[in-house]
Amino acid sequence: MPPVVEVENLVKDFRTFDRREGVWGAIQDLYSRRYRNFRAVDNVSFSIGQGEMVGYIGPNGAGKSTSIKMLTGILVPSSGRIAANGFSPWRERTRYARTIGVVFGQRTQLWWDIGVVESFRLLQKIYEIPQAEYEHRLSKFDEVLELKRYLHTPVRKLSLGERMRCDVAAALLHNPPLLFLDEPTIGLDIVAKESIRTFLKEVNRENGTTMLLTTHDLSDIEELCHRLMIIDHGRVLYDGGLPELKRMLWEESTLKVDLRDRDQAAQLAVFSMEGVGVERVDELSYRLRFRREEVQPAELIRRIVNEVQVLDLTMEEQPIEEVVRRIYTGEALHDDAHGTPENARP
Amino acid sequence: MTLAGWTNFPALVEFGKIGFVNMLAFRLRYYTGILTYFINVTVYYFIWRAIYAADPGFAGLSFDEMLTYVSIAWIIRSLYFNNIDVQISQEIIEGKITSALLKPIDLQAATLARALGESVFRLIMLTIPSAMVLFAVYRLHLPANSLAFAQFSLALLGSILLVSAINFIVGGFAVKMKSILGLLRAKFYVMDLLSGLIVPISIFPSPFRELSEWLPFQHIVYTPLMLYLGKLSGAEAWLALGVTWVWVFALIATGSIFWKSMTKHMTIHGG
Repeated sequence: MPPVVEVENLVKDFRTFDRREGVWGAIQDLYSRRYRNFRAVDNVSFSIGQGEMVGYIGPNGAGKSTSIKMLTGILVPSSGRIAANGFSPWRERTRYARTIGVVFGQRTQLWWDIGVVESFRLLQKIYEIPQAEYEHRLSKFDEVLELKRYLHTPVRKLSLGERMRCDVAAALLHNPPLLFLDEPTIGLDIVAKESIRTFLKEVNRENGTTMLLTTHDLSDIEELCHRLMIIDHGRVLYDGGLPELKRMLWEESTLKVDLRDRDQAAQLAVFSMEGVGVERVDELSYRLRFRREEVQPAELIRRIVNEVQVLDLTMEEQPIEEVVRRIYTGEALHDDAHGTPENARP
Repeated sequence: MTLAGWTNFPALVEFGKIGFVNMLAFRLRYYTGILTYFINVTVYYFIWRAIYAADPGFAGLSFDEMLTYVSIAWIIRSLYFNNIDVQISQEIIEGKITSALLKPIDLQAATLARALGESVFRLIMLTIPSAMVLFAVYRLHLPANSLAFAQFSLALLGSILLVSAINFIVGGFAVKMKSILGLLRAKFYVMDLLSGLIVPISIFPSPFRELSEWLPFQHIVYTPLMLYLGKLSGAEAWLALGVTWVWVFALIATGSIFWKSMTKHMTIHGG
């Protein structure tokens, strides 16, 4: 099956002008301006298959939103090629718009002054959705998003959580095969977040809707996406699964051991001879650190269980926040960082 | 100019309804609007009375005709006036334009539909009440004849579209500018002057009069008024009406091409 989205060598340059300082500088700026090129998206290539849910993450100003704007056709790339749903987004914007849905967390796509249901009806007319289909879909959406309660409220009077639910529903009213979400859960409480995630998962499962979402909330990625792309300074640093990323960045694993009694500590200390770091947490619990290349976790656990009386064993997963923090701060994946894996793009 | 996004009439009608309904929020402004228009015409009444006292044959119009000109000019201004230049430029500057760009409908078509919806509202809430007040207070001419009134009405529909098409283009310049207030204000005064709202085009001094012959603005007020007063009749009237509508289509086509090139330069901030 051909990919739904194909991006090749995508580049976006913005021209900004440097203001000179002071009054004299301001006068000079009137006559000659010093321009500077800023490359927001730098040679990005990827492709997304039908039904994939892809997380697109990166620090602020990394080029995520610029990419999304080019993918949705509202921004013209400086160079490179995009094919999405078989269209060139900005060249065939009007026809392409029929086949996609877009949610901007920071900006509603609904009409501000009119009631939600009027916005929906207008969308029905714009996308020429047959009445029966429209009603069926709306009642379906209502099951998860519980829209009915505020269907007649003007958008400007909705709370953020209510507005986002309406926005997500509005973007999917015409059942587009491709959905873009730019920070869909920003500023939402946990209930609203859950309801939107559940809804997106269901839509993806039932209709095979392909989704690309940017977020700063990494639990969105953990819950929704099988694949993530990390972008910084306009470049893709990583494109692959979340577990693979963690494994790649965290050569060191930790195993937490809770002992039955104090005397077992001596038994445990034996392991420190074999390339395993033993750290005391408190009297009865210890943390073992080891490198997966040197020590097989399964083997280690088997031996501990045989030789030491333990209450509990826990392999400690590195939280995704920590993984991502290391990437954003340049400790990992960046070309200039120490210990960079060269195979950052599997 | 492609027709994609122009052919979805149910959606355009819906945009027209939104234009109408949104005006309801400003109801109070229309009651004060009627008063403002009445005061405007009254000021002109005294100015023109002074001028006609000195020269009764001024500009080839009688005093009553001139008073009718001024009154009807303000009455129709209440109909064709809209703010879409301000609205579009704001949407561009605030970045709200993205939601319009993401819909499979032509922004210009939707904007014109909205403007027409607004005009229908103004007709009911402002134009007809103002006309009733002014006809009651001043001795105004009725249209020259029923054909003249029909032609006047067609010209009026043309002037609503002309103003909307011009405003759409002017508002679109916001893509290229950081601040568009100066341009909006300049357009506001140029349109009021060159449309013939303030004084009839026929009394413009020579180079300006000929210049305005070649501009679309005079078809906003001057041409409909000349039709109303019966100063244009027969072939001349149809010609003037034809020129008005050629301008309507030319400006809509220009706006469409202009908007297409502007969207290529668009930088959407934030988000």
